Amino acid sequence: MTQRDGLGLGLAVVGHVAVFALLSLAWTSAPPPPPQNKPIEVSLADDVALDQHAPAAPEPPAQSAAPEAGPPDDAPPPAKVAKVTPEPAPPKPQPEAAPPPKPAPKPVPAPKKPVAEKPDKPVKTKTPPAKAAAPAAKTEAKATVAKAAGTNPKSTKPRPTGSLLDDDFRKGLTQAPSHAKVSQAAPGATMDAKATADIGSAIQRQVQPCANRQVIPGPGAAKIVAYVRLQLNRDGSLAARPTILPSHRGVDDDNRIYVDAVDRAAIATFTGCAPLRGLPPELYDVPRGWKVFILTYHMPG
Amino acid sequence: MTGFMLNTDATTLSPIALFLQADWVVKTVMIGLMLASVATWAVILGFLFKLGSTRRQITRFERDFWKAEDIDAFHRVESENTLPIARVFTAGVAEWRRSTAGGHVDREGTRERLATAMGSAVASEIDTLSDRLNILATVGAVAPFVGLFGTVWGIMRSFTGIAAAQNTSLAVVAPGIAEALFATALGLFAAIPAVIAYNRFSHSINRIEARLNRFADAFHATLSRQLEVEVRR
Repeated sequence: MTQRDGLGLGLAVVGHVAVFALLSLAWTSAPPPPPQNKPIEVSLADDVALDQHAPAAPEPPAQSAAPEAGPPDDAPPPAKVAKVTPEPAPPKPQPEAAPPPKPAPKPVPAPKKPVAEKPDKPVKTKTPPAKAAAPAAKTEAKATVAKAAGTNPKSTKPRPTGSLLDDDFRKGLTQAPSHAKVSQAAPGATMDAKATADIGSAIQRQVQPCANRQVIPGPGAAKIVAYVRLQLNRDGSLAARPTILPSHRGVDDDNRIYVDAVDRAAIATFTGCAPLRGLPPELYDVPRGWKVFILTYHMPG
Repeated sequence: MTGFMLNTDATTLSPIALFLQADWVVKTVMIGLMLASVATWAVILGFLFKLGSTRRQITRFERDFWKAEDIDAFHRVESENTLPIARVFTAGVAEWRRSTAGGHVDREGTRERLATAMGSAVASEIDTLSDRLNILATVGAVAPFVGLFGTVWGIMRSFTGIAAAQNTSLAVVAPGIAEALFATALGLFAAIPAVIAYNRFSHSINRIEARLNRFADAFHATLSRQLEVEVRR
């Protein structure tokens, strides 16, 4: 080996090392793909709730009978005026200040009458505005006098605060249900067909990514329907490996050889995407609950 | 920049990563192909240096030879030269001296012996020059097959991996096939320069051989004329 050959060998070795080092360095490879945004978990649940899911009030909220709008502070409440003065006097001391209370309290029939009467004959009460103001002022004066005296039995009534809420508003808070339509289902968790379907669709939604990962082993395999029996823990994890019930649907002579592959894909689908989240805990241990749940599985396509 | 790190990730085309993840058979094939590539380039570089300087020195020697007045004096100067053309010249002069040393000179026999001696000197020098050209020929012919062997082996291994995992997804198969194909890439990496260099250097050596033969013929003609002159005396 001459000197030139040695030089050639040295150059060859150095060149190879350099080429492979360059190829092995990261900067010759393609730049890494830009970091993808963290996937946001979007629930496209149509309805995964139970028929009685939240600790809902057993009865609808009682209606509130209290009127809301009130006249200015100094004006006495009309209902009180109606009570103080037995005769159906026009309860509106200042018609221009407060319109007639249209949302009249229903369960308090007594003051309803004057209110109902009033819009019937507004023309008659055309003159009384001034007159109506006068009795109101008179009544107020009377009340203050009675209060000062302390002997008037009416003094036990609270001082008018200007609000329309008086003692009578409590009558609105009844225990009677309002007339809104409510579900007649009994409270508590029952496993009915809808809950089963909801749980099934919830599970299906969560295992769908794993199901999409399975590779169809051959033509006709998508026609095979397997029954998967899940045994679940309360936290949604698998208590045991899913089992395939021996009965299948859609098996014919052409796809019989793919039954095992479909079974494996089914088991891989459910083991891969366990634990399952968001299943209603009330329905875990009830009869036909999701402690043991049987689903059908078939491959997409 | 995180670039100056060795990539050992399978998802890149890093040769180191592909080598490290390969089967031992494929690794052996890769190492052999790398050595073949190194040898190829060593031979290529050696030939480039050798042939370039040889061509220049032959040109200079020819120019000096045809300018020389006295062949014996020129031979005294150049007798230790190791150039191929100088060796041919030395062989011719040596044969001339041996043939004309005695009293009687057979002109025809001397001419034949001169031609044979210089022809064999040319063949010997070409043999020396084209030494190791066979390395290029061998690498160029065999390296693709060796690489293909590594690839076939690696793909077979990938398929047994599929059978073992019972999973046909591409992620199971892809790395094995990539590293297997790297063996073929290495084979081509070694073979392509070898084939190109083999053709080019064969052509160069053929030209040098033709040049030596032309010089030998011209020198033979010169000696032949001299033979007639000397014998007539």
